[in-house]
Amino acid sequence: MTRTHPGDASRGPTARRYSEPVTFSLSTRDSSESHQDANPLGGVHSRYQGPRRRISRDRTLAWWRRILPVISSHRAAFITAISLSFASLVFQTLVPNLLNHAIDFSLVSHRASLTRSVVEILIVGLLAGVTGLISRQYVFATAYNVEADLRSLIYEHMTWLSFSFYDRVQSGQLISRANSDIRSVQMYSTFAPLIVVQCFIGVIAFGFMLSINVPLALIAMLVMPLLYFVSIQMRRVLFPISWITQARLAEVATIVDENVNGVRVVKSFAQEEAEINRLSDAAERVAWSYVKDAQLRALWSPWAQNLPQLGLALVLFFGGWMVIEGHLDIGAILAFNAYLLMLQAPFMMLGQLVMMGQRAKASAERIFEILDENPEIVDRPGAYDLEDVKGRVVFDHVRFAYGDLTSRDGRNEILSDVDFEIAPGETVAVVGRTGSGKSTLARLLTRFYDVSDGAITIDGHDVRDVTMRSLRANVGVVLDEPFLFSISIAENIAYGYPEASREDIIAAAEAANASEFIDQLPEGYDTVVGERGYTLSGGQRQRIAIARTLLVNPPVLILDDATSAIDVHVEAGIYEALATLLQRRTTIVIAHRVSTIALASRVLLLDEGRIVASGTHEELLATTPLYAEVLAQSTTDELGDE
Amino acid sequence: MAWGGGWGGGGGGIGGAAAATSAASGLPFGGIPAELQEGASKLLAEEPRHDPSRLTFSQIPSESERRQLTLPAMLWVYKRWVVLGSLLVIAISLLLQAGPKLTEIAINHGMARGHHSFAVISACAVIFLVLALLGTFAQRAQAQVTGKLAARVMHDLRIRVFTHYQRLSLDFFTEEKAGVLMSRMTSDIENLQQLVQDGVSQFALQGLTMIVIIAVLFATNVALATWTVLLVVPLLFVFTIWFHQASERGYLLSRDRIANVLADLSESLYGIRVVTANNRQRRNIVNHRHVVGAYRDANLYTGRVNAIYGPATIMIGILAQALLLGIGGNMVLHGQLSLGALIAFFLYLNRFFQPIQLLVQQYNALQQGRSSIIRLRELLETPPSVDELAGAPRLGTVEGRITFENVSFGYDPARLILRDVNLEIAPGESVAFVGPTGAGKSTMAKLANRFYDPTSGRVLVDGVDIKTVTLHSLRSQLGVVPQEPFLFAGTMRQNLRFGRPDATDAEVEEAIDVVGLRDLVDRLPNGVDTVVHERGQTLSAGERQLLALARAFLARPRVLILDEATSSLDLQSETVIERALDRLLEGRSAILIAHRLTTAQRADRIVVIDEGRIVEVGTPHDLLVRGGAYATMYAAWLASGGRDATRERA
Repeated sequence: MTRTHPGDASRGPTARRYSEPVTFSLSTRDSSESHQDANPLGGVHSRYQGPRRRISRDRTLAWWRRILPVISSHRAAFITAISLSFASLVFQTLVPNLLNHAIDFSLVSHRASLTRSVVEILIVGLLAGVTGLISRQYVFATAYNVEADLRSLIYEHMTWLSFSFYDRVQSGQLISRANSDIRSVQMYSTFAPLIVVQCFIGVIAFGFMLSINVPLALIAMLVMPLLYFVSIQMRRVLFPISWITQARLAEVATIVDENVNGVRVVKSFAQEEAEINRLSDAAERVAWSYVKDAQLRALWSPWAQNLPQLGLALVLFFGGWMVIEGHLDIGAILAFNAYLLMLQAPFMMLGQLVMMGQRAKASAERIFEILDENPEIVDRPGAYDLEDVKGRVVFDHVRFAYGDLTSRDGRNEILSDVDFEIAPGETVAVVGRTGSGKSTLARLLTRFYDVSDGAITIDGHDVRDVTMRSLRANVGVVLDEPFLFSISIAENIAYGYPEASREDIIAAAEAANASEFIDQLPEGYDTVVGERGYTLSGGQRQRIAIARTLLVNPPVLILDDATSAIDVHVEAGIYEALATLLQRRTTIVIAHRVSTIALASRVLLLDEGRIVASGTHEELLATTPLYAEVLAQSTTDELGDE
Repeated sequence: MAWGGGWGGGGGGIGGAAAATSAASGLPFGGIPAELQEGASKLLAEEPRHDPSRLTFSQIPSESERRQLTLPAMLWVYKRWVVLGSLLVIAISLLLQAGPKLTEIAINHGMARGHHSFAVISACAVIFLVLALLGTFAQRAQAQVTGKLAARVMHDLRIRVFTHYQRLSLDFFTEEKAGVLMSRMTSDIENLQQLVQDGVSQFALQGLTMIVIIAVLFATNVALATWTVLLVVPLLFVFTIWFHQASERGYLLSRDRIANVLADLSESLYGIRVVTANNRQRRNIVNHRHVVGAYRDANLYTGRVNAIYGPATIMIGILAQALLLGIGGNMVLHGQLSLGALIAFFLYLNRFFQPIQLLVQQYNALQQGRSSIIRLRELLETPPSVDELAGAPRLGTVEGRITFENVSFGYDPARLILRDVNLEIAPGESVAFVGPTGAGKSTMAKLANRFYDPTSGRVLVDGVDIKTVTLHSLRSQLGVVPQEPFLFAGTMRQNLRFGRPDATDAEVEEAIDVVGLRDLVDRLPNGVDTVVHERGQTLSAGERQLLALARAFLARPRVLILDEATSSLDLQSETVIERALDRLLEGRSAILIAHRLTTAQRADRIVVIDEGRIVEVGTPHDLLVRGGAYATMYAAWLASGGRDATRERA
């Protein structure tokens, strides 16, 4: 693990204020990794290089200033976008004025050449088109690059967060924040400046109108503040009703969800009719809110669309009068018409800008909540790599609680005083009731969490003194929940050792007794599994999880209830293969099946956060009544679970 | 409560604001934001009380439900609104396009040299104003009519699709992914809602507007109109079609890619422990960059398409104006066209672009709506695999004799799970099915209440083939407590009453006492009115099973089927349950599917099933004495630490 940030040296002190990494481990760019390929999802590749700057860590700054570094890392594109779109808008506003002149000077008073006007307009039109086209390219490029940066940043940040964070928050919520909130921030931070530029068109158009005729310009503008008011009003009333509608659609979705997932219960009790009526009631409420939505929309939206028409009628009336009085030329009527239509969009967008800003602020704050989380478990300064592990594992008076132990009331304390030693190459079984803290032992040894008190050492090295990367490379754990990714079986097995050859992968699968069923799958080792692929049974998943860890071949191995869903005779096969493998490594087996425990030369009995007994299976059976009780209980549970 | 009176008349009365809040709290974004709460409450105060629905359900669809699903047919139910809406659309397209023509008249007859007339100008301006106002009001009326129309049509559709769900059989629900079934009832119907509310009327309105404009242009000056239409329409049309196709491609691409981003993100989060344990963080970060980058690339593609289309249409507009000025201006100079008419042409030209762009916008909605309709039609045309015969009679009150007659069954007929099973369960008798996992025990139960039909052979209740009677009359007399008890969002009371919504409070209390839920109810904050739901953590697995048992008890079925219903109970609740079982089984036939042989021991008879066949039948005592398959299982059960029920009974 690299400790120094490759980019740090080149950055000045001011840049650092915005881009300081969360910890040294959170490098944005690491040249050594950029050429690695690990692309499970449809093999997509992109030239995207990852974020160049991070979000400011200074919590006192306003939300948009915290995001500014990310946007400013694309400033060239951004500034091009803004300036060119400004140019394009100026060209567009020129057109009605040119038409006005053409009509008045060429058609009415015959003072100028018509062809020249036509050519002028053609040129302006081409310029407006080309500048507009280029500017929008850059607008979208900035917007989507900023979005990609934000997505990558939040992903990278979450990847390094500690498990205590994931214990606290729901993954679903994180996903929603990482998705819709990023989008609303990106929308605002890149499109808001553009809307402001759009609004400039209003200023310019108004300027042109003033230059033609001041009183008529003021009259024509009369409806514009109204338009702004209408668009604000429209959003003010439509926002609540659309939330209500969403909530009610969710009610309908809940009922459908229950009827799809609970279909057996509904059918068993023949309650179809009651359910239809329940849905109908919910749907009725949806219908009401849709009707209400349409009514409110009908109240305001036609005004927003037609207010400029009223302005046009005013222009016709007063402008016509001025033409008769000789204060105005006919061409101005046309120019004013065009300008009023040009003004419609900016005035409506101005209202939109305000609302978007509020949403973006709320979203940004939700994103910052995640980004302001610090990983609790990090490499200590001066941490060194753990090398040449023999496998002596020592738990030295370890105490642990999820969350805070400082209160010392001991209520949430999982381990009170765990003290044991495992010799290199020894296989030890840990037995205990559900909730006795067995799995916690595994999580502490791999430093998923840090001990609250006491110490854990491997070959005399405190696990907190060595780098996490080297620790986890040397301590392999097969977790109780065999999570597989939506990639091929081969890739899943090679998850911890992606460079492994196909032979190694197959050998690991054979040791885990998985090769037989894998060979029967439609595409063998290349079958894609998981949510977006082939569904495997719990036992099959566990076997792949075991193969995954065996492939890494760590000197210290932890099997955390790793075979609970595997049939007893298959399990026997796995252990037969394991027996030879385990001889050479320190192994901790967390299990409750007698057959599994039999693998171990020693059993540790864990109860109420302490090791209450240690010895061979037979010794404990004979001396400790609790042991027999725990075994019996878990056997019953298991039979029931089948 | 959110579910109103539909659930057996319970709840329903609580006012609007509370309902919206409580319902919203179940949303992913967690409720109405505080700043909108006031506005929302004000709106909800206006909501009238909806009468609870009184729909009826029959397995056989009615005449109208069998008709093919088409959008016109759905709309035509509300003929009056459709006609009214169409008339309003025509009125709007005429009223709102009068402006330029009036400007032309005002210029030619009020402003042109030698024709100064303030009367004409003011008359035109006033008419313009009045027509614009009328148009505005017509738009308002039209929006209300189509809003109502869309809401009613979608309400009908929701009920029609949901009713069809209720008719479909269990195999459909196991084969189809739940997410797909959800989206038929949610996003597909919402797509159509959008289409009916805005899409159809916008399509008609913008199309008509274009026709009106073209007609006016031709009426004013045929030559110039021909030039305008020729210059603008084909170019814009071709360009718009290109845009539509390109942006559709981009849209699909970025939709796939964002799905990848979210899938990668969610897998990384759910699998964070594996990621960390395998030191995969850096590799995954790089990988995610590729996935995010691919999504960005798709967006950039769409962005490019948009960046071309937007400015290009503006450019076409300006260039067209230049050419119009050249051609029209010459006509004016030669006296072939009035100045007012030329200005009107310019004004109409500006109005040409909006409809085309709006039409393109609606085109996507139209496409989505069309594919939604097709998917819904396919769904509605899927017949239930377990269906009622037309005119099937009700099954009278049953005694509870269940007969399996040469029954064979396989989900896939080529791979039979049950083979030629014959069994008769006498009224009032309880029979335990035991055997290894996958032996076919649960399948027997599923055949008894007709979740599936046997591949061959018959299942009879009181001597009547269950295929010949109505599903409702059969299932309402058979109570099933499934392996995984399912809770509906609502109070515990509502959940208990699920099988018999008219059960009295006293009966609910009795059920709670009988199954031993009393301790739990006393512990809950609002007792039996505490809200529980499927994914909630309020109840433990054991407690949920007790609740499912109480539900079955309250439903008072004639025959009871317990599908491993006691599997996730700890020893203590198991004893409670077994006492409850005695009460539950009193006077009813019962099928107990049991892994815990202690439960099996309570049955009058035990049926040992293995590999789809009945291997052994007899009383628990006889089977133990006989020393066959069951005796072996029982010995293994004891050896693995199972409780010895024979000793307890003695």
